[in-house]
Amino acid sequence: MGDCVNELLAHMPRRTGFEVSHAQVQKLQIAALSERFDAMVGRVKLVRHLAEDAGIRRITSLADIVPMLLPHTAFKSYPESFLTDRRWDRLTRWLGTIIAQPVTDIDLTGVEDLDQWAAACAKAGIFVSCTSGTTGKPAMLPACQTDLEFAAAENVQAVQWGSSIRVGDKRTMAGYGATAQSPRNNVTGGALVHAFADLAKLGTSSAPPITIGSITRMITLRKSIAEGRAQPSEIGEFERESAVRQAALAETLGIAADHVLAHHADKLLIMAMWGPLYELAEEVRRRGLTGRDFHPENAVFLGGGLKGAKVPANYKEVIFETFNLSPEFTYQMYGMQETQTSMPRCRHGRYHIPVWMICLPLNKDGDALVPTDAGEIEARAAFFDLSMEGRWGGVISGDKISVDFGPCACGSPSPSIADTIARYADLEGDDKIACSGTVDAYVSGIS
Amino acid sequence: MARKATTVPSAEPDSAPFFVKGRVIHGNDVIHRSRDLGVDFATPRLNLDDLIYPRTELPPLLNVPLSEIIDFLAECGQKLLAPGSDHVEACVERMAKVSLQPAATIRFMIANAAEYLERRNLREIVEQNFSDPRALDEWVTRSDHLGRRSAIRAFPPRLIHVLPGNAPAQGIRSIAQGALVKAVNVFKMASADPFSTVAFLRTMAEVSPDHAVVRSMSAVYWRGGDETVERVMFRPQYFDKLVAWGGGDAIQNVMKYMGPGFQIVSFDPKTSISMVGREVFGSEDVLAEAARRNALDVAMADQEACVCSRFTFIEGTSEQVDRYCAKLAAEIRADPFKAGDPRPLDRDLKQQIEVLRMMDEDYAVFGRADGRGVVIRSDEPVDFHPLRKTSNVVCVPSLEDAFRHVTVATQTVGVFPFNRMASLRDHLASSGAQRVVRLGEAGLSSVGNPHDAMYPLHRFVHWMANEAGG
Repeated sequence: MGDCVNELLAHMPRRTGFEVSHAQVQKLQIAALSERFDAMVGRVKLVRHLAEDAGIRRITSLADIVPMLLPHTAFKSYPESFLTDRRWDRLTRWLGTIIAQPVTDIDLTGVEDLDQWAAACAKAGIFVSCTSGTTGKPAMLPACQTDLEFAAAENVQAVQWGSSIRVGDKRTMAGYGATAQSPRNNVTGGALVHAFADLAKLGTSSAPPITIGSITRMITLRKSIAEGRAQPSEIGEFERESAVRQAALAETLGIAADHVLAHHADKLLIMAMWGPLYELAEEVRRRGLTGRDFHPENAVFLGGGLKGAKVPANYKEVIFETFNLSPEFTYQMYGMQETQTSMPRCRHGRYHIPVWMICLPLNKDGDALVPTDAGEIEARAAFFDLSMEGRWGGVISGDKISVDFGPCACGSPSPSIADTIARYADLEGDDKIACSGTVDAYVSGIS
Repeated sequence: MARKATTVPSAEPDSAPFFVKGRVIHGNDVIHRSRDLGVDFATPRLNLDDLIYPRTELPPLLNVPLSEIIDFLAECGQKLLAPGSDHVEACVERMAKVSLQPAATIRFMIANAAEYLERRNLREIVEQNFSDPRALDEWVTRSDHLGRRSAIRAFPPRLIHVLPGNAPAQGIRSIAQGALVKAVNVFKMASADPFSTVAFLRTMAEVSPDHAVVRSMSAVYWRGGDETVERVMFRPQYFDKLVAWGGGDAIQNVMKYMGPGFQIVSFDPKTSISMVGREVFGSEDVLAEAARRNALDVAMADQEACVCSRFTFIEGTSEQVDRYCAKLAAEIRADPFKAGDPRPLDRDLKQQIEVLRMMDEDYAVFGRADGRGVVIRSDEPVDFHPLRKTSNVVCVPSLEDAFRHVTVATQTVGVFPFNRMASLRDHLASSGAQRVVRLGEAGLSSVGNPHDAMYPLHRFVHWMANEAGG
């Protein structure tokens, strides 16, 4: 790793990543980008290919990196048939195009399913995290050991910057909802628990984890249904399994509520998505508890959007009142799974960008930078996460953001993003009718 | 001009008037955004009561002879084709702003649709759809083999047409089809084309403002899925059938309103493919001819239409097939339809293609992912939807092995050499496909042939029987 990258990353353990202004650090960031480019272009096939395609030989400005940004689909660009036909050799070769390490050390002997494939990669020091989406194919996000260590430590620091939650609080963990198991979730989740929780009171508060293997099974079935090869009994079996999974989740709700009731006087640390957390709040209320029964320093990590959860308009108020939550002990962050750095929310409701994370505000088409000198600007979000070592850290998102590169009213000089993040896909709606199309859900019938 | 809506953006949005039973309704009350290009347009406020044709009143076209309807449609077609048709020219300009297709393509499609209104064409469509077209004009009597007598009428239906956004001229075909079955019609226009259907109807109203055809037509816009409209309108009290173009979310969304008395006639989204036999490697000339034909099926209409080939299954080794792919890519990139500047590929799609180029042990990529033509050779179909002149050529041991990739969403199958069509068509039909054609001729079809495995006009009408005793 180069000196400039190191200088920027050193802000993380020193907890000074948000103490520096954009103007102070911009030159150093470009120099660090250049170091990353020079180090990766020879080692990552995908980066070399992008550079050749765009005619980029070196990085001397932020504009040079724009054609080098990856869409989120880059991490699921492998053909789905690799999973359904169990072509682990091909999946490995695909992995080899997006990472810096050679894949020749991965021993595929005896690999039968995706979970085993990920385990084989881990043995070779390549930690592949798969997304938990139940529709579409999973994204594969490879990381090296250094990446995981950075992500784990960075998460803990971001929580402390973005809230009054502190290492050593010894909180009782509470939560609910299906979680996906992945090396990154395991490492970062583990670090958060160690930092903030009372290890004696962990409880069983979440549903059985979803493994990537089980997701693959669903994809395989969906494909065989689409191709007309699935037997009616297989479809029936699949629907029964879905019902069982739903029932298990419902049962877990009861267990999670039991746990909360048993420890309601403790200082809690609640980790959940909005949708499941609303369900938990409802269940806790049904059992007669209200905000008065909970500790005033209860803390909560809130993540993600609603992801299609059906909740009433006042769901946030219900959650905050039920668990006696306050903004001071609420940690919210903006981030994307294709990068690893968190952008914690300040008390003025803005998401702050640390120095090792470069925000590249783009036009709607995502092919050019928009000027950053005009105060708050609307742009398509793209980032280069300089902390990523195992894979390329430059990604372009589907998010429309308002970002200000000047200081924030909260006192931090770091660039920040307003709490108005929206997805272009949602803004433009789905009023889509055409006679040409894909073999979609209307054929497969399963999503 | 009606008053402006409160959310008027900086650039003045184009007006998209409505057409209701022969009257043009102007107004810029509501601003909408087109789905493909995010361009705003303004429409009048929607008055649902005006769109309903009460069941207590007989349809205006019921007793107008079919021959007179055909004459009227043909006259309107002439007017559309005449140079300087104001409504059409204005609409082409406005459409180019909201459509994925350029103005020249739109103009061509409109001219093509106007030719559809030619007398002999309309007559042949009716004759192919109905074994006895007289049933459209009168109660046709028959006796069965037991001597029992009855009279049958193809009674005019009440139709809501949900029009597609990718075929600017479908509106005119749907108007003609609605008129031929004497239906009362509401056309729900697409945000990618909220102009053309009204422009055609206005042209028709100029030919004869009070004609029963004109009085049987309304064309309006609401955002697809708007429950405040669809929950009210999609009811058997008002309509018999919903004629829906589209699929996926669009169809799933309307399905919840379907039930006894209110049925769907759906033109689903389709994918088309090509099948090329090992005979293609017989000589360089044959290979060149097949690749040239294949390229026509891929590149037609900028690969936006359902008949466009997206996958080619071919019998050959990867070395042989790579020669075919190189030729195919060159033919597509030669721009056989002179479509001009391409629309670039989405970054996502480009990325997926480029990653396959990097996996050169398993794939080969020919041409560039720049919208001018790119061909991917693989041994399994790619799992993205090939768009913007992208063709996936899949090696198979024999064409029969490709049947498993054919589904009810497969519309057209172009075959080379042509003499293999006969041995493939039964299995293709059994798998769900709807048309088998000679490679290179996907865009051509005989007048009045079935569409999406049905005779649409036959499906539209309300088949009524009058039993007259033994």
